[in-house]
Amino acid sequence: MENKHQVPVTVLTGFLGAGKTTLLNRILTEQHGQKYAVIVNEFGEQGIDNDLVVDADEEVFEMNNGCICCTVRGDLIRILSGLMKRADKLDAIIVETTGLADPAPVAQTFFVDQDVANKTKLDAIVTVADAVHLSSQIEDHHEAEEQIAFGDVILLNKIDLVKDENIDVVTKRIRKINPFAKIIKTTKCGAPLKEILNLDAFSLKRILEVEPDFLESDHDHEHDDDVTSLSFVSEKPLDMEKFQNWFGKLLQTKGQDIMRTKGILDFKGENDRYVFQGVHMLMDASPMGKWPDDKERSSRLVFIGRNLETMNLKEGFEACKSE
Amino acid sequence: MTTDLNQFPQLDKTKFEQRGIQLEIGVPVTCAVSIGNYIAAGFGDGTIRIFSSGEKHKTLKAHKGVILCMAKDGDNILTGGDDGYFLKISLNGEINEITNFGSRWVDHVAAHNGNLVCSSGKVVYYWDKNKKEPKSLNHDSTIGGLAFDAKGRRLAVSRYGGVTVWKKDYSNKWKSTKLDWKGSHHKVSFSPDGKYLVTSMQENVLRCWRLKDKLDFAMSGYGSKVKSFAFIDDTSYLATSGAIDAICWPFDGEGPMGRKPICLPYIGNKQVTFIEPFPDEKAIFAGLSDGSVFYLKLKMRIIL
Repeated sequence: MENKHQVPVTVLTGFLGAGKTTLLNRILTEQHGQKYAVIVNEFGEQGIDNDLVVDADEEVFEMNNGCICCTVRGDLIRILSGLMKRADKLDAIIVETTGLADPAPVAQTFFVDQDVANKTKLDAIVTVADAVHLSSQIEDHHEAEEQIAFGDVILLNKIDLVKDENIDVVTKRIRKINPFAKIIKTTKCGAPLKEILNLDAFSLKRILEVEPDFLESDHDHEHDDDVTSLSFVSEKPLDMEKFQNWFGKLLQTKGQDIMRTKGILDFKGENDRYVFQGVHMLMDASPMGKWPDDKERSSRLVFIGRNLETMNLKEGFEACKSE
Repeated sequence: MTTDLNQFPQLDKTKFEQRGIQLEIGVPVTCAVSIGNYIAAGFGDGTIRIFSSGEKHKTLKAHKGVILCMAKDGDNILTGGDDGYFLKISLNGEINEITNFGSRWVDHVAAHNGNLVCSSGKVVYYWDKNKKEPKSLNHDSTIGGLAFDAKGRRLAVSRYGGVTVWKKDYSNKWKSTKLDWKGSHHKVSFSPDGKYLVTSMQENVLRCWRLKDKLDFAMSGYGSKVKSFAFIDDTSYLATSGAIDAICWPFDGEGPMGRKPICLPYIGNKQVTFIEPFPDEKAIFAGLSDGSVFYLKLKMRIIL
């Protein structure tokens, strides 16, 4: 997998009017000498200045694999396969979703379709959020909350229109849903492009490099359907079999509510670090080399999703510790 | 590549390889058709190359982008591209534009006896050979494949959720019948005898309908997507890609239900990715994921 040339795909998401097209046009005008393909939804209103723009219509369908949350973007499979036949090599592909889209099917497409996964890779999900309206959008539309939950990078845009104390309120709201995304505060989406493109956020190696703060998070939310996150740490090695049984069953039964998972695991009797990351029920996991000598071995995992407090995650994780 | 060659260290250049020519074009080949003694191949840079034995091949610049699909219409080649053009190209290299959809891709093309058809997005466009303007046939989702039956009376359109079969009634009006099965259907084909309709799906499976009573069934067990399949020896077998062996399902008699397929094996562990029937013989060419091609003969026996 590592040696294959895979074109990175950046997914731009964000609620209506947040500034996705502004960001897209910034990327296209600033990155000189790079060849990009841009996949946009056909109802986009603003013009996009690029020679390779493909209209998509966000056809989401369910895979026949007995998993109701495993939905993929059929149009994306078709378009990416067409783009990979081009004579000129693309430096990157950018997919802009509609404002009301759930980012999960886009991400899942890269897990499920082998042809897509062979030639392209999901680089990162970049969510543009409107600092003025985000709080009310999250209250009224579950899509807005999902877009925050799935973001690897969140551009908190239009901060020039908001008072400082309100920016803090919005930032806290984002952190409660997704404590691991990088938040960049911008006006007119003016973020350095190196913080948006080529992040490799979905690679297991990258999870190790970034080492996000897996903190024990508090959960004091108001509504039951809020998206929250929970994370767990264990200094004691885990029993591999117990963990696999617990985690496998958890994703199978609660995968619809669990949106994203990430973790670094220390199994008893194993020399390697195990790293995984998942979207709903789908997961990518692999041993990633020995534990570094200068680091304490420990297991850390994080969940982002709905109804997490009903899943007995703490008890389940505790029970996986080795005897 | 080296490991693959090591599997057959004893092999010299085969007779096929000695007879053939090899061209390094540096652009992906996207599609090909054979017309009499000619072979036309489409490429990712919009060019078409027409080959015939004993002559130097012709190179034509046909499309601005990728040639996505190709079919033959008598002695002509039909192509659709990501530049939105649907073209008819003669073997001497004359290019005629049939239509142009602008930024929308032409995903699939097909023809029967001078009647032309192409799809772009969710719409199929049908040109009767006696008419200039096409008839639009609308569908609810993007089209995955197109196929006429052997007589050209029915047109199968695969899509999300199944296949729509279009047929002209006696008053020359288009009537459609839906064959539904959940999931995304891609390549579609009628059996040469017209009794069955087969689709390949997003999952590693083929779906088949027996048309007289709409009985449907799956052919499964593949290790990867079944991208290529073809009926051989009229309708006696359906040869399929998607596994390490070329899997051939029996379609004679009562069809494949409850019967096991013949597996045409070769020595190796590469997936079969392409199937091309060998005309007038119970044999196929099987293309493999490492680029090699095998000629495989069916023996008249069913493995139980």
